Amino acid sequence: MTTDISRRAFLQRASALAISGVASPLAINLAAMAEASAANASDYKAIVCVFLYGGNDYANTLVPYDAASYNSYYSLRPNLAYQRSALSGTVLSTASAPVDVNGVAHQYALAPELAPLLPIFNAGKMGVLLNVGTLVQPTTKLQFTNKSVPLPSKLFSHNDQQSEWQSSMPEGATTGWGGTLGDLFASGNGNATFTCVNVSGNAVFLAGRQAVQYQVSTNGSVPFAALQKPLFGSATCSNALQTLMTQAQPNLMQSDYARITQRAIAANDVLTSALGSSTSLTTPYPANNNLADQLKMVARMIAAAPALGAKRQVFFVSMGGFDTHDGLVTVHPGLMKTVAEAMAAFYQSTVELGVSNQVTTFTASDFGRTLSGNNDGSDHGWGSMHFMLGGAVKGARYYGTAPVVATNGPDDVGQGRLLPTTSIAQYAATLGSWMGVSNSDLLTMLPSLANFNASSRNLGFL
Amino acid sequence: MPTPTANAAARFLAQASMGASRAEIARVQALGYAGWIDAQLAAPRSGTRWDWLIEKGFNGATFRNSEQGFDACAWRKLITAPDTLRQRVTLALSEICVVAISGLVGAPWRNFSAAAYLDLLEDHAFGNYRNLLGAISTSAPMGQYLTFRGNVKQNPTTGALPDENYAREVMQLFSIGLIQLNTDGTAKLSNGNPQETYGLNDITGLARVFTGWDFDLTGTSRDTPDFLRRPMLQVASRHETGASTFLGSTVPAGLSGADALKAALDIIYAHPNVAPFISRQLIQHLVTSNPSPAYVGRVAAVFNNDGRGVKGNLAAVIKTLLLDPEARNDSYVTPSYGKLREPMLRLVGWARAYNVGSASDAWAIGNTSDAATRLGQSPLRSPTVFNFYRPGYIPPNSAMGKLGLAAPEFQLTNESSVVGYVNFMQRLISKGIGDVIADYSSLLPLATNSQNLLAEINQVLAAGQLGSSTLGLIKGAIDTMPATTPAALNNRVYAALTMVMAAPEYLVQQ
Repeated sequence: MTTDISRRAFLQRASALAISGVASPLAINLAAMAEASAANASDYKAIVCVFLYGGNDYANTLVPYDAASYNSYYSLRPNLAYQRSALSGTVLSTASAPVDVNGVAHQYALAPELAPLLPIFNAGKMGVLLNVGTLVQPTTKLQFTNKSVPLPSKLFSHNDQQSEWQSSMPEGATTGWGGTLGDLFASGNGNATFTCVNVSGNAVFLAGRQAVQYQVSTNGSVPFAALQKPLFGSATCSNALQTLMTQAQPNLMQSDYARITQRAIAANDVLTSALGSSTSLTTPYPANNNLADQLKMVARMIAAAPALGAKRQVFFVSMGGFDTHDGLVTVHPGLMKTVAEAMAAFYQSTVELGVSNQVTTFTASDFGRTLSGNNDGSDHGWGSMHFMLGGAVKGARYYGTAPVVATNGPDDVGQGRLLPTTSIAQYAATLGSWMGVSNSDLLTMLPSLANFNASSRNLGFL
Repeated sequence: MPTPTANAAARFLAQASMGASRAEIARVQALGYAGWIDAQLAAPRSGTRWDWLIEKGFNGATFRNSEQGFDACAWRKLITAPDTLRQRVTLALSEICVVAISGLVGAPWRNFSAAAYLDLLEDHAFGNYRNLLGAISTSAPMGQYLTFRGNVKQNPTTGALPDENYAREVMQLFSIGLIQLNTDGTAKLSNGNPQETYGLNDITGLARVFTGWDFDLTGTSRDTPDFLRRPMLQVASRHETGASTFLGSTVPAGLSGADALKAALDIIYAHPNVAPFISRQLIQHLVTSNPSPAYVGRVAAVFNNDGRGVKGNLAAVIKTLLLDPEARNDSYVTPSYGKLREPMLRLVGWARAYNVGSASDAWAIGNTSDAATRLGQSPLRSPTVFNFYRPGYIPPNSAMGKLGLAAPEFQLTNESSVVGYVNFMQRLISKGIGDVIADYSSLLPLATNSQNLLAEINQVLAAGQLGSSTLGLIKGAIDTMPATTPAALNNRVYAALTMVMAAPEYLVQQ
C-alpha cells in the first residue's frame, strides 16, 4: 500500500464520518491514528487478554515467601494459607528482589499449581506485575481515606470493576481499550473483522468506536446449517432465510441483530477457509480445560493470521469461578492448575508457530481479594498480582511495587484489600505501546493515563 | 373495553405468558386483559418441580451427586404449566434474584436444590416482595450459592471476618442497587453525579448479620434431599451477636440470628430504591428494555402502595405493569421499543404454540447453555449471580447504543449464538429432541396455502409483527416447495416456522 492511497483512503473515511454526522474530534483523531499506525504495521503482533472472572485471590496466586512476609501471610489467613514447605518448588528467583514502600525486599512463590508457568518465568519469558488495579490517578491511602481524589466508581462490585478494567468506566461502557486498539489497527488488517476476537462471549474490552468484537467458538466459526444444505430441501428457502435474517430493518434492535448475523455469515466462509489452509498445531493442550480450548482457538487464528492478512490482533479469553468467598482451599488450587496448564500450552504453541516474540499474553481479573480470610474464603478486594507472558516480555522480573503483607498496613484499605500502586492504564499503555501506539495516542486511548507521571506510563515489561 | 384483536392478544401474551397459543389468544379475547390477569392470579398453582423429581425417582441414591432431572423439571413447567403468568414471573424473578445450579455446592442433591429454589420463587411470584426476600435469604440454595450457609461470626483469634458475599449481592442485585434512585428509576444526582447507595463499611456491617445459618438436618440426613427445601436453621454459637451498622441504621446487639436477619431485611426493604429498582427490572423482563421514567414511576408507586397500604404486592405490580398504557397502547411502539426475546422464551413460545409434549414425560431437552450448538441460555444456569445479561447492558457498535439505550438480551447475542440458535431451532422444529416433539395439526391443514400458513404462524408466534415484505419473501420461497405428499407438507411447515423464528421482526418483541 502506498502512502498516497492510504492518505486518500483516510480522507475519504474522514469526510464520510463528517457527512454522517458522527465525526466527533475523537473519531477523526482515531481515524488519523489508525492511518498512522497501519502504515507502520508490516510485522505481526497480537495481545491476548486472559480474564479471570470473579476476582482472583492474589495472596494464594503469588504467595509471600520471604520469612517475614510468609509469617504475616500465614497469620492473617491460617485457614487458607499454603504451608511454606509446599511452596519451595515454585519460588521465583530473580536477579533483584522487589521492594515495598519501606524499602524492604520481598520474595514470592507461585501457587504450587502454577508450576507449569515456572519454566517460562525462569526462561525470562514471563514477568509479574505487583499490585495493579483500577485507579483514576496515583492514590495514597490518606487520599483514599479522605476521599480527596477521584476514585474508580463502584469499587469492589464485580460487574463494575470488570468494566473498569476493560473500559476505564463502570458497567454501561460501550468501548474498551482492546477495541480502541482495534480502531487503530483495523485498517492495516486485510480483513477488519478479525481484528478484535473474543473466544469466550461478549466483553466490552473488545468494542471500539468502529472496531467490532468478532466472537468465535472454541471450534471456530459456527456455520449456518441452512446455508450448508438446502433448508428442508429448498435452496430457495435457504436464500430467503439468509435475506430475511440480514436485510436492513427500521426497528433498531432488529437492525442490530441483523448486522450481527451478516457478520457471522460473511466471516464464516473466510475464517473456515483460512483455518483450513493454515498450519495445524501439534502442541498438546490439556483436556477438559475450557480455557485451554479457547486459547487453542486463539493459536489457530494466529496461525491463520497470514491467510487473513492480519497484522495486529487483540484476543480475549476468559474463565469464571474465581469468586472464592468460600471453599477457597478446595477450589482455588484447581483454578490455578487450569490457568497454568492452558497458558503454558498456549505459550508453547506460539513457540511452535514461530511467533512467540510477537504474541503477548496477560492476565486480568475483576479485582484482588482480602488477605485476611473469612472462615473459608476471601472477599472482594482491589489491587492484585498479574502475569505477562511471551517472548517479547522482559521476564524473570517483577514490575510495580511489592505491597506490605498486612491488614491496615500502608498498602491496604482494610483486611488486606490492596490499594493499587500501579494502574490498569499503565498496564494497558505498556501493551499498547508495544503494539505500536504512539505516546500521544495512548493518552487518547486511556483517559486516566495523563494523570500518571510521563516517566511511569510505560511499565517497561515489553 | 372492546375485545382485543387476535394480534393484540398475542402481543399481550408475549409479555404476560410463556407464549401464545390459539386457545390462550381466545381466552384473552374472551376475558379481556384485566380479566385474563385476574384469572391467572387466581389460578391454582401447577405441581412443583420438587414433587415431579420425587415422582420420577430422582431421589434415588444414584442421582445423589448429579444434576439429573433438573433441566427436565424446569422445561416441563415452562412448557406445560397452565399457570402461565406465574411461570413468566417466576422466570423473571429467577433472573433478578439469581441462583445457578452449578453453584449449589457443599451438599449433594444439586438437582433438588435448584428445583427447590424455583419452587420457592414460584411460591412468592404473586406474593409480597418482602416475604420473597425473607424466604430467599434463609433458603438453602441461596445459602449455598452466595456462600453464607456455614458463615461464622468474627474470629478474634484468626481475625477472620464474616463472608461478605450475600451482604453485598442482596443489596446490589436483589433490593436497592448501587446508586440512589428517584421513584421513577432515574438516578438521583448531586452536583450532576449519581450517589452510591452504600460503601465498604456498610458491607462489612451487614455481613455480620448473615452468620450462623446452616442446613436444617433435624431428624433427617444428607441421604435424602429434604433439607434443601427447609429454611436454614440458626446455630447460635456461630452467629455474630454484636450490633451491625449499615445504611445508616443499626441492628442492635443481642438479637437472635433470626431476629437480626429480619431487622436487617426491614432496613434494606425500607430503602426508597426497592420499588423503582425491582419494578423497572420486572418491566424490562416482561415488556420493554427502556421503559420511560413515567412508566417506571407508575409501577413503582403501586409497588410502594398497592392501594391498601401494602408495599411489595407483586400481584398488583404485575397487573399494573401489564395494563399500563406504555405496555398496551400501540402509540408507544417506536423503533426502539420492546425487547429482544430471550432464547429460552423463543423455545418455549414455539413449544406452547404447537402443543409440544413428551410422551414418556422425560422432557429430555437438557442443558441448552452452549451458544454455538444450542440456545446460549438455559433455566437457572446463568454463569454468575449477575444473570445472563445486565439490565443496563448497551450493545457496543449498535443503533441502540448510539442512542444510549439498553438492550440487555444482546449480551447473549454474538456471531456464534445467532447461528447456533437458528441451527438448533431448525432441528427442534423438524425433529424435536428425544420424544419432545410438536403437534402441527393446527398448521398442516394450511400447508398447501402458504399465505394462510404464514398468517397463522405470524399471528400466534409473532403477534403479527412480520411485515408484508418479509411475509412476501417467505411466501415466495415456500411456494417453490412441493405440496403433494405428507412429507412435503411437513417440510413446508418446518421451513415456514424456521424462517419466522429466524426473522428479526419475530426476534424483537414489540
